[in-house]
Amino acid sequence: MSPSKSKPLKTEPDPKVAAPQEPYVEKVDRRSAMAWVGVVGAVLAGGAGVVVYGEYREGRPKAKGYGTDPKLAKPEKAPWPRIMTAAQLQAAALFADYILPASGSAPAATALGIPDFLNEWVSAPYPDQMKDRAILLDGLEGLRISSQRRWGVDFAAASAGQRQALLQALAAAKPKTTAHTFFRRMRALVVGAYYTTPQGFKDIGYIGNVPRTSDPGPSEEVKAHLERAFQKLGL
Amino acid sequence: MTAEPYDVIIVGSGAGGGMSAYHLTKSGLKVLLLEAGRDYDPRIETPMFNTNAEAPLRGVGTPDKPFGFYDATVDGGWQVPNEPYTVAEGSDPFIWWRPRMLGGRTNHWGRIALRFGPMDFKPRSRDGLGYDWPITYDDMAPWYDKTERLIGVSGAYPPQSLTNTPDSPDGCLMASAPPRAFELFYGRAFKAMGIPVIPMHGAVVTGQMEGRNTCLFATPCGRGCAIGANFQSTTVLLPPAMATGNLTIRTNALVYEVELDRSGKAKGVNFVDRKTGEHHSASAKAVVLAAGSGETARILLNSKSAKFPDGLSNTHGMVGRYLMDSVGLGVTGQFPELENLPPTNDDGQGTEHTYIPWWGYDKHKALGFPRGYHIEIGGGRGMPSMSVARLLEEGDVSVGDDLRATLRRKYGSTIGFNGRGEMIPNDDCYCELDPGVKDKWGVPVLRFHWKWGESETKQAAHMVSTFLEVIDKLGGKPLGKVERDGRKAISKGGEMIHEVGTARMGASDRDSVVNQYGQSWGVPNLFVTDGAVLVSSPDKNPTLSIIALAWRSSDHLATLAKQGALS
Repeated sequence: MSPSKSKPLKTEPDPKVAAPQEPYVEKVDRRSAMAWVGVVGAVLAGGAGVVVYGEYREGRPKAKGYGTDPKLAKPEKAPWPRIMTAAQLQAAALFADYILPASGSAPAATALGIPDFLNEWVSAPYPDQMKDRAILLDGLEGLRISSQRRWGVDFAAASAGQRQALLQALAAAKPKTTAHTFFRRMRALVVGAYYTTPQGFKDIGYIGNVPRTSDPGPSEEVKAHLERAFQKLGL
Repeated sequence: MTAEPYDVIIVGSGAGGGMSAYHLTKSGLKVLLLEAGRDYDPRIETPMFNTNAEAPLRGVGTPDKPFGFYDATVDGGWQVPNEPYTVAEGSDPFIWWRPRMLGGRTNHWGRIALRFGPMDFKPRSRDGLGYDWPITYDDMAPWYDKTERLIGVSGAYPPQSLTNTPDSPDGCLMASAPPRAFELFYGRAFKAMGIPVIPMHGAVVTGQMEGRNTCLFATPCGRGCAIGANFQSTTVLLPPAMATGNLTIRTNALVYEVELDRSGKAKGVNFVDRKTGEHHSASAKAVVLAAGSGETARILLNSKSAKFPDGLSNTHGMVGRYLMDSVGLGVTGQFPELENLPPTNDDGQGTEHTYIPWWGYDKHKALGFPRGYHIEIGGGRGMPSMSVARLLEEGDVSVGDDLRATLRRKYGSTIGFNGRGEMIPNDDCYCELDPGVKDKWGVPVLRFHWKWGESETKQAAHMVSTFLEVIDKLGGKPLGKVERDGRKAISKGGEMIHEVGTARMGASDRDSVVNQYGQSWGVPNLFVTDGAVLVSSPDKNPTLSIIALAWRSSDHLATLAKQGALS
């Protein structure tokens, strides 16, 4: 079903795959993307193979959420500072487009600003998002280190083939491993963020959210589909 | 504030308080309505047609907005800043949902508007369990009729004469929108099991109704409705009450005490302004408590005097007792036969178009649990949310076009089955004042005690097995791990947000707090018109009954006022 299951794991860059794309440019202005450079630097200095973002997990510095009475009709931008480094944002962008590259008239994930969303998500001061913060930022850092070790370049600077090899390895990782969890969470977030946009609606076939004077119910075509299903199910 | 000569002070502006304000002001009484939350105007504040992409975190729930960013609830949820509550040691979990806004929970509620049936008012007479109400279905029927006609309810269908599932008389209900594909789909399975499927009763204007806008068949009701096509106290009850010229509303007014005069009658209330922290008093000829079952009990318990040392109207220790909720749980299935359906607009009318009323009234002996549940069922091609990736199976690691194709194929192919069941009141479920903890303004808070009985946990287990049977019949598979043990699968106390019964009505002051009109046994000019007065908690969602009871009780109050019995 998935390409990674049927194909052998790539260890060498595939020359047929295109070179790195243009760097991702944020769709919104960034407030404090470099806030965590010091932390990342410290981890690298230690040369650790396992990256642990203790500070991220404990949620410091304490950022404020949007509160219990945010404006709903015209929502304001999420107020917390963004914590991804420029390198993490680039890696997230490349990963997002690996999951959902452009296809026909459907845009790529980066064209819809999905990396900004990922940054908003991992920066949020709420428990679910802070859990993902550790998974995603550790994962992106793991990608960076793996790329460095294997090819001597950062993930974001690696060739498309090199990146693909690393991402396919993630997808092929055994369930419940850190790598697999990272892949599944990243993909779930990218997919969720993508299909909640109007372009995503179009791609998945959501045609609602328009005012109507009545609800006519299902079409004859839909009813015929159901009748075939009932026959098959013996209902 | 105290200078105004008010006839009635109403505490709370939700289903009970809003209805009381509507009827009392229309009866010519001068009313002061005190609401703990802030002012709220659904016409300009409702995020209708907003996409999740416009919201922080794509609209997912957070501790600040537990039901999602766009949920209408203001300043509330399972916790309210500065207003804690506690759960007693050794108790099962209990959680308490409170908003702090004009109109209370009517702004975000599920709009499911089912009548209680004849059996629901006389459960003890039926099987010896629970307690009988001091009134019958026949007493309530005309008030249900009036309420449905006032608030706008859909779900008309030819009379079904199903047990304990009342048909509304002609002219009470509007027609529902037709069943959607997933509703036709599950309907066939239930029918094959001999279980009737009928239109849901939803507090949504689906047809032409004088003075009301018709539903736009789009955008979720839980966000509220800017055009007032569904029932909210803030769009349906409070504006006409204001138009009488008899209503004064004060928001951010957190009432904590009812004061008595020397003769032992209520003379008014004390409240704190949540924004300024200043304490105020207001007086009137009568006081109506409709702050929500928990808050109403708290006000009574905190209103201590020489005559009522344990709290107002609590001479026999009945305040806070017989706290109930609904039994709840859900199982979601994924159905290959619903894959690849042609794109259809499934936004619908806000509530479910059809549902499954309880079908086993004559089978309880064999079933091994005494009371039933109805099933609320969601599905279809709704607006995608952050949970889209749940459609992907555990082993699926596809990306790109494969991923897009899988999502397109499976989108709209899941159905969520949710049971809502009756709970029998028991001695282990109650609230009282916490001996130590106080809110920001020094007022003692509630401490909850909770324990489901076997009647509930066995019913919960039956829900799970029913849902699995239906999912199997439809060729589907449950999504995620399914807990079959009813004791573990059952909702937390309070989680269904149907907490009722802390100041119940009855036939005598020995075993109840108020009479059949919500009038306190001990204080004749004190009334309760919220869910606190409920004697049982049938599977049917309580809001319609709270409104109908509030109307009936307010009518009694207005009659007493006209007779001069209050002054």
